[in-house]
Formats: sequence, C-alpha cells, structure tokens
Amino acid sequence: MKKITALVLVLLLALSMVACGESKAPEQPAEKPAEAPADAPADAAAEGWAPEENVTIIVSYKAGSGTDNTARVLAAYAEKYIGKPVIIENVEGGSGSIGWTALSQAKPDGYTLGFVNLPNFSSSITEGLADYTVDSFRAICNHVTETSVVLVKADSQFNTLEDLVKYAQEHPGELKASTNGNHKSNHIGAQMLAVSADFEYTDIPYGGTADQLLALRQGEVDFSVAKVADFASFTSEVKVLGVFNGERLAELPDVPTLGELGYYDKWLGSSRCICAPAGTPDEVIAFYENAFQQIMQDEDYLKAAEAAGMNTDFKSAADTTAIIAQQQEFAEGLADIWGE
Amino acid sequence: MLETLSLMGQGFINAITPLNLLFMAGGTAIGIIIGCLPGLSAAMGVALLLPMTFTMPPETGLIVLGAIYCGAIFGGSISAILIHTPGTPASAATAIEGYQLTLKGKAGKALAVACFSSFCGGLLSCISLYFFAPALAQLAMKFGSPEYFWLSIFGLTIIAGVASKSLLKGLISGALGLLISTIGMDPIEGVKRFMFGQASLYEGINTTCALIGLFSMSQVLILAEKKIKEREKAAKFKDKIALDKGDIKRITPTIFRSWIIGNIVGILPGAGASIACFMGYNTSRQFSKHKEEFGHGSIEGVAGSEAANNAVTGGSLIPMLTLGIPGESVTAVLMGGLIIQGLQPGPELFTRYAPMTYTFFAGFVLVQFAMLFIGLLGCRGFAQISRLSDAILIPCVAVLCVVGSFAIRKNFVDVVIMMIFGVLGYLFRKFDLNPAAVVLALILGPIGEKGLRRSLLLSGGNPAILFSTPLCWVLIVLSIIGICSPIFMERMEKKMVKNAGGDIPDESGDDPVRTTD
Repeated sequence: MKKITALVLVLLLALSMVACGESKAPEQPAEKPAEAPADAPADAAAEGWAPEENVTIIVSYKAGSGTDNTARVLAAYAEKYIGKPVIIENVEGGSGSIGWTALSQAKPDGYTLGFVNLPNFSSSITEGLADYTVDSFRAICNHVTETSVVLVKADSQFNTLEDLVKYAQEHPGELKASTNGNHKSNHIGAQMLAVSADFEYTDIPYGGTADQLLALRQGEVDFSVAKVADFASFTSEVKVLGVFNGERLAELPDVPTLGELGYYDKWLGSSRCICAPAGTPDEVIAFYENAFQQIMQDEDYLKAAEAAGMNTDFKSAADTTAIIAQQQEFAEGLADIWGE
Repeated sequence: MLETLSLMGQGFINAITPLNLLFMAGGTAIGIIIGCLPGLSAAMGVALLLPMTFTMPPETGLIVLGAIYCGAIFGGSISAILIHTPGTPASAATAIEGYQLTLKGKAGKALAVACFSSFCGGLLSCISLYFFAPALAQLAMKFGSPEYFWLSIFGLTIIAGVASKSLLKGLISGALGLLISTIGMDPIEGVKRFMFGQASLYEGINTTCALIGLFSMSQVLILAEKKIKEREKAAKFKDKIALDKGDIKRITPTIFRSWIIGNIVGILPGAGASIACFMGYNTSRQFSKHKEEFGHGSIEGVAGSEAANNAVTGGSLIPMLTLGIPGESVTAVLMGGLIIQGLQPGPELFTRYAPMTYTFFAGFVLVQFAMLFIGLLGCRGFAQISRLSDAILIPCVAVLCVVGSFAIRKNFVDVVIMMIFGVLGYLFRKFDLNPAAVVLALILGPIGEKGLRRSLLLSGGNPAILFSTPLCWVLIVLSIIGICSPIFMERMEKKMVKNAGGDIPDESGDDPVRTTD
C-alpha cells in the first residue's frame, strides 16, 4: 500500500512537471519563430558571454513579499532571453541587509544577481545595518518603479491636499498618519510632505504597508502616504490627494503633484533595481542589461506584469547607477527632515 | 440568491475536471510533505510553487495553491505527533498531546484524529467562506490597535491552561518568552534591542526557529540522555488507524468549538494558525469531560488544536478575498497568485469574477476531501516511524532540526539560535518550566506590544483608549474568564467528585509537554 501511494505521488509530481513543461514549451517557438530565441544568444555571442548554468537572483525579502512577487513574474519569462533558468532565492532578514550582504559577498561571475530595493537599501547603509556600501554592487538595470501618493479615506473631510494642509497648520499635531515603520519609505513620504508644507502631524508606525493602509481604512488615522500599487484592491475606499512626482501620473490624471501646490516637487517612491556584485566583468553586465531589456518588452511578460499591477520601468545600467547614488545622497540628507 | 446558488453549483462543476482533481491531489500531497518538514512553512510551499501556476489555467492554479496551503497546515501535525517536532508553528499545540499518544503506542490513532479533525475544521471553515464572508470581513475592519492588545492578553491567559502543574512556573516561562520577544528592532521607534550587532536579529527571534529548538532539539537531547541511561523499550505499536464511533462522538463538540475559534482568529489579520491551535487546544481542555487525560495523551487535545488550525485556512481567506487584506504570509502569497491570474481581490471578486471565485471555493471544499483521503492513506505509513528505534530516530531528528532551521531563511545564525533554544528547552523541561508557554509568549508578545504602544500613540498617551470600544470589553471579559476558569473548574470538579464520593484525580505529572520519564 505504501509503495503504491509513493508511486502515485511520484507519478503526480512527474505529471505536474510534464504538464507545466508542456504548456510552456510550445509557446517559445510559436511566439517569435526566428527572432527572439535566436536574438538573445546571438547578441550575447557578440558580447562574448552567456551563462552556462542556472542563474540565481537574490531577493532580500521573504517569499510572497512585494519584491518576491514581481521578481518571480520576471523570472518566469527570463529563460527565453537568458538561455538558462533563473532561480529566485529569498535571503530575508535585517530589513533586507542580510540579502544584500549575501549579494555583495557572492562570486562576481555573473551567476548571482540580486534585487536592490530603493530607498530601503540606502537606509540600511545610513542606519548602520550594512557591511556593504554603494560601491559593493554594479547596477544592471531598473525593473519596477512605484510613485508615492498622499491618501485619505473616501469619506474623509478633506477633498484636496490644500484642505488637509490648512487644517493641519491650524491644528498642529492633531492629524495622524500611518506609516509602514519608523523612518521607512512611507514615513519619509509623510515627513517630506509635512516639512515642505510646514505642518506638524503625529506619525503612527505600523509593521508594513498592508497594516498601514488597513489602519487608514479603519479610520484609526487621518492620512497616509503609500505607493500607487498598494491600494489597487480597494481604490474606491480611498481618495488620492497628491502625487510625489515632477509631473502628473498617466493613471491619475486628475490628481495634482505636490510641486503644483508648492510643496516637495521631486519624485519620491520606490524602485527595484537588478544588481550584480562589484567586480562583475563588463561583458556580463552588458549581457544582462540587454537580456532584461528584452524580457521587459516581451508581450507575455508585459501581460503578466500588467495583471500583477507592476509598473515595469526599464532603465539602463548607467541610469540605474545614477539613481542608486542619488537615493544614497537623499538618504544621507534625511537627517535634516526628521528634526530630532 | 438563486443566482448566487447557481454560481456556487457551477463552481463545483468547473472544479471537478480530471485535470483539477489530479492537481488537487498532487498539491495536497506536496503540501503535506512540506508541512511535516520543520522549517518549510505553508507560506514557503505556496510561494515556491506559485510560478508553476502561471502557466496553468487560472482556476487550476488557484486550486493547487489552496491545496498546498491546507495540506501543509495538516502536514505539520504528522511530525508533531510522531517526533515531537511541529512541522509548522500551527501544530505546536498538537505536539503536546499527540506525542504523548505516540509514547503510548497510539500514534496511528493520533494521526487519524488529526487528519479527521483537520478535515472537519477545513470543511466547516468553507461554510463561513461561502455564506458569511462579507459579514465576517467587517470583523477584520473593527479590529484596531487596542483590540489587538487585548487579543494578545487573552491569548496569554492560555498559559494558565497549558501550565496546569504549576501556574507559577507557567508564568515564569511566559515572562521569559515575552522578554525574548523584545529582541530585535523596536516596532515603534526603530531602536535596536538586544541585537548584539547581529543584523540577523533585526526582525527578532524567528518563531519557527525557537519552536524547533524548544520542542525538537530538546527532545533529541532528552532521548539521547535516556538512551545513555538504558531506556525502557518503547510502547509497542498496536493501535489501528481508525476512529470508532465513540472517538468521533467524543471529539465532535471539540471540533465545532475549534471551528468557531479558528475561523474568528483566521479572519483577524496578523493572528493566524499558530495562535488558533493553542486556543483550540485550551478550549478543548476546559470543556473536556476527561481532563485527567490531558498531558498524558488526549485525543480531544489533538482534535482541538488541529480542527482550529485548519479552520483558520478558510477564515484567513475572507479578509484577503473581500478586503484585499492578507492576514498572514500564506494569504499574502495567495493574493499575489490571484493578482497575477488577473483577479483583483475586493468586492468585485463576488460580482465580476464570481464564476472564478466560486470555482476556487469549490476547489477548496474538494481539497479537504483530498486531504482526508491522502492523510488517512498516508497515516498507515507515517505511523511506522513511531516504531523506529531511538538509535535511528535521534540522529535523524537532529539533522532535521538543523536543516529545518537553516531552511527558514538560509541563515546560519538561525541554526545557532535553534541550538541555543534546544539547550534552553532541555533545561526548561528539567526544571519543569513550560516550553509551550514560551512559544505562546513569543508569538503574542510583539502583537501585544505593538497594540499597546500604537494605541497610546493614537490617544496621545491616554489609556482610556484601551477601554473605548465594545470589542475591547468583550476581549477583557474573555481574558478574565480565561484566567479564572481553571481555578473555578478545579473547585467545581472537586465538589462534584466529593459529592460522588470518589477520589480527587491525581494531579502529578500533569505538565503537558513533559515526556513520561
């Protein structure tokens, strides 16, 4: 009996793999018969480097986290262009710093890459959690960018950001904002708004973005700063009052930017970059930059990414390096805004 | 209404395709295996198999993920019962009674009870999923910071229940657990506490890691010590893997109570199966007519814990599906799966996407049957483990502990922490302290701390906020009942026994997590 059970299980496992393999296999040649599969290796051959074994991408957060979800969508479509399977490895803990330490210490041979999350990566350095610096990594490209927005509950008394700021200036410290943790990304956003609009508020740290927004929906707090994708499942329950960007967002054309109202006028949000350890050769970086650009233009990938609410935003290695450096500078300058 | 019913029926028709049934069985089996290995959690299993479901039809993909979730929560009980190693924190309370049954040679019965109760708990939780989801979801919206504080206090009153031998020692254990739970980053100010420069401790001591150390590694040490002292032969494996009518009759009330507990706890974001199993266990003990069996292997204890943790599965889906609030890590991963399949959690799930949603629900119901079937089939084989000689078992469990604690985050620091907790657990048992109370406090400590400090921040330091809502008062009353009930129950029992003219049952050796040595 035991043997039969075991046999059935093994068969099932095998079947499930075959089934998955099968449904994937015909897609590859059918999509772009000659172009795509031939394309990437050809380019790579020109650059002189292509992976010969599986590639590991380190995600510094646990399985099921936001970064993990987006990374897995990317990995699912990566093999076509990278030529080898891409494996996501979750190395969590230390607010991301454990994973980034692992990445900085990995062999710079092009078989270990990792996601670097801004601004958390920058603050892990400024808060002294890290053994690495910005120079311990080489940027390959940017994957996803999310912009911060100011949110209130749908039935809030505030209909515009000016209402909120006016009330807050007249009643210092009375308005409460939920954040995703002390000095975390959304706390930085709320603080930036308060400092640039010159009002006082009380920040209440919640463990993560989900809890932070639950508190807003429950009415425990008055306003909150979060990223666009965070409230996709309950857009009708909140009002978006302002956007942290130089210009209005395409998906929220009616919402003014903070700059329009005379407050903080630069982009604020989070981005997820793909990096390799320092010392990785140029041709490897070039190979991946090219491969990831193609993945992020792949129709199947884009369909999945859109369904998952991911704002895919490819940026070149040079641009990404600049963003990481700029965010680091921003994080180091933050001490001024806390006013502690 | 009629339309909804026909949608529900249609869901079953959609779910029962050969492909779905095959994947359902496969998913459940994989889930059970993942669950029974310490260190591999339900969330990890679901997350690792999530990319595989991208290429499947949406409903099949979701059913597979649901199957892994349910299977893993049940699977945790297998290792908890057989080798005192809860595969997931959700089975911590199962280990208390389940392992005692194994020592008595009743491993098969314990597994069958666990399987049957898990099945019932899961199936009953589907009822609330189907009919009360929107209403129950409102409960999650009502639970604010003050309520979470009281929830943790109520949870801590369970210590009084699990530490029956000496309340004082139970409280000492609980206090130690609370102290350990303060390690890591302060949730409000972001100050690093007791981290000693270890970035790995930033998020605190990993509960699973501590659990493996306290329950399993300490068990290895105890067994090894006994082996050296020439241990008596283990009880012979003589039981049948079947439940008779009497057993089912005995555990039925327990299962119903645990269903309600598990469901409500499941709905609350951040609470989850690990708290529910203790609550289910404690309630089964409070209402049991065979209290003397608790601590020596009670099937009601196993049923109470297992029905509760599987009732969480259906419950935890409710806020995720209706409000887009993932209550725990498994539902967060599942939510990712839904979104990738193009289903945005929220009210639209029951209108625009209703056919898909009801197919998923139907799959969830069918998964429970797959779990019962595979579980009962597998129990026969699993139960053989209890026949293994200690010479094989001790090194195997030790290896499992190390691998399991490493697997959680692939971090060697966790293995060291597990070892420290192993020694701690060994000393705890020698001093009659209570490892289960430590785990409970470790889980509830952060919830209580955040609840209290956030409440006080919200009110500007005024403690009146803690008594401001009816829900707070409900939880306060429950906590008072929780503290007082063991005392009252004991008194009532004594009176009843006296009236009947019998002896007061002997209380010695009643510490549930102690092995009979």
